[in-house]
Amino acid sequence: MERGQPSAATLGAIAALVVLCAMPYAARSEWTLGAAAVLRHDNNVGNAESPPDIVGDSAIDARLSVFQLFPLGESYSVTVGGDLNGEAFRRLTGLNNASLDGTISLKKKWGLGAFAPWARAGVSVGRSSYDDSYRNAWNYRATLASGRRVDERWNFWAEYAFDRRAASPRMEEVPGLSGDAFSQDSHNVAVNLEYSLNENTFLALSLLGRRGDVVSTTGESEKINYAPRALAQDPAFGPEAYAYKLIGTTYGFRLGVNYAPTPHSLLGLGFERLNTHADGGNSYTKSVPEITWDYRF
Amino acid sequence: MNRLLAAAAGLMFLWGAQPSGAAELRALVKDHRGKLIANAVILAAPLDAKSAQRAKPPADAVDQVDKQFVPYVKPVFVGSKVLFPNSDHVRHQVYSFSPAKRFELPLYAGTNAPPVVFDKPGVVVLGCNIHDWMVGYIYVSETPYFAKTESAGTAAIDAMPPGEYTVRVWHPSMEQGEETTARRVILNADGPSTLEWELSLKPALRVPRVTGSASGGYP
Repeated sequence: MERGQPSAATLGAIAALVVLCAMPYAARSEWTLGAAAVLRHDNNVGNAESPPDIVGDSAIDARLSVFQLFPLGESYSVTVGGDLNGEAFRRLTGLNNASLDGTISLKKKWGLGAFAPWARAGVSVGRSSYDDSYRNAWNYRATLASGRRVDERWNFWAEYAFDRRAASPRMEEVPGLSGDAFSQDSHNVAVNLEYSLNENTFLALSLLGRRGDVVSTTGESEKINYAPRALAQDPAFGPEAYAYKLIGTTYGFRLGVNYAPTPHSLLGLGFERLNTHADGGNSYTKSVPEITWDYRF
Repeated sequence: MNRLLAAAAGLMFLWGAQPSGAAELRALVKDHRGKLIANAVILAAPLDAKSAQRAKPPADAVDQVDKQFVPYVKPVFVGSKVLFPNSDHVRHQVYSFSPAKRFELPLYAGTNAPPVVFDKPGVVVLGCNIHDWMVGYIYVSETPYFAKTESAGTAAIDAMPPGEYTVRVWHPSMEQGEETTARRVILNADGPSTLEWELSLKPALRVPRVTGSASGGYP
């Protein structure tokens, strides 16, 4: 961590305090508050191809969110909101981070009610701060989504998102090769289906696709050296670890089962499997089982 | 002296509770596993149509509390005016597509919404265009003699003119048609008559309120 900069934990604690102080006011207004926590295990945090470089770790993610919906007549609504997020890893503590995001979105419904088709466009801007501060970044996201709840059992929607992550500029490690390995652009698509088993339980399936920059952290490798668009040391994974920025295509899926023990909360078990094929013949996979909890006030 | 006063008060209570010459119907509703069912509407339609006349349907209300309709099921007599006060701190947009009553109350807060007159018998399903999980039911009864079961599965209809009635049950999740529950009974003023029903209920499916952070639902 660079001296003079507050740690991710400090930033997170300050932001959490601000949000908690605002809660009594928010609870009386039209703002809606939410909280969520995720416990996950990623079996390949660094997106490495070869077994010696593959590092798995568990992380806990906690989020506070606040948003307000402004209906604009019968068909349109604008949602303004913000998220405060904190993530802590068990072993790779340099990846511990806090982030603050603001989001605005416009939603249109074609008709009244729960079964009317809808479309939504949104943008968000956020800042993430890591314990290893070279990963600090501004995050930008633009989304287009559309869907329809077919009936009480079936819900379907699809989403496209453009993600830009603009990390702090870094010096070149290799002459002529950018050191900006942690800035990434990507195009993401997701097709989502939910099926309600009963009043409190639903299954969720998402098919995921992504094209854009990926960061693969490995030891020095001849194979990967031909392909990177940027290269930087990645001490969060060890003194000999390097982060290679590549162009890659990812396909995968996410399966989940969710149970609502109360009308305000949701418990979930999920499993995500992703396969990435990156430039230079670099391919890697990752599996992420997770337990989620969401609460909406 | 006190005993005499208490006895007199007890007699007056009994006198007031059951008007002379009126019949009373008590109902018990269970599911096929024997579990007592709340929110079942018991309807008693007199075969003599004159007995069903009532001067003026009362005003009723369905509130919105914690982004839910309260009560979940509300039986009303045909012609009733129903108010939809909003006790939440967010605005609601109440609507129904049901053939028995199509209506929409544009976004409102507090008690500003005008009453809705339910002038056709049948089931009216309520929703909120902002909060998709909100669902409620108004049963518009063609007879003034109705009641709704509480959590103990019981309901009582009193002050009924003695006579012959067709009594039936409706519940939002019942599998069978309402007409299959119909029974003919003769009610008299001798004392309450009790009827029991066993209903098969479908699994209740409702739009989830919390759908997880990745969901495309609310907002």
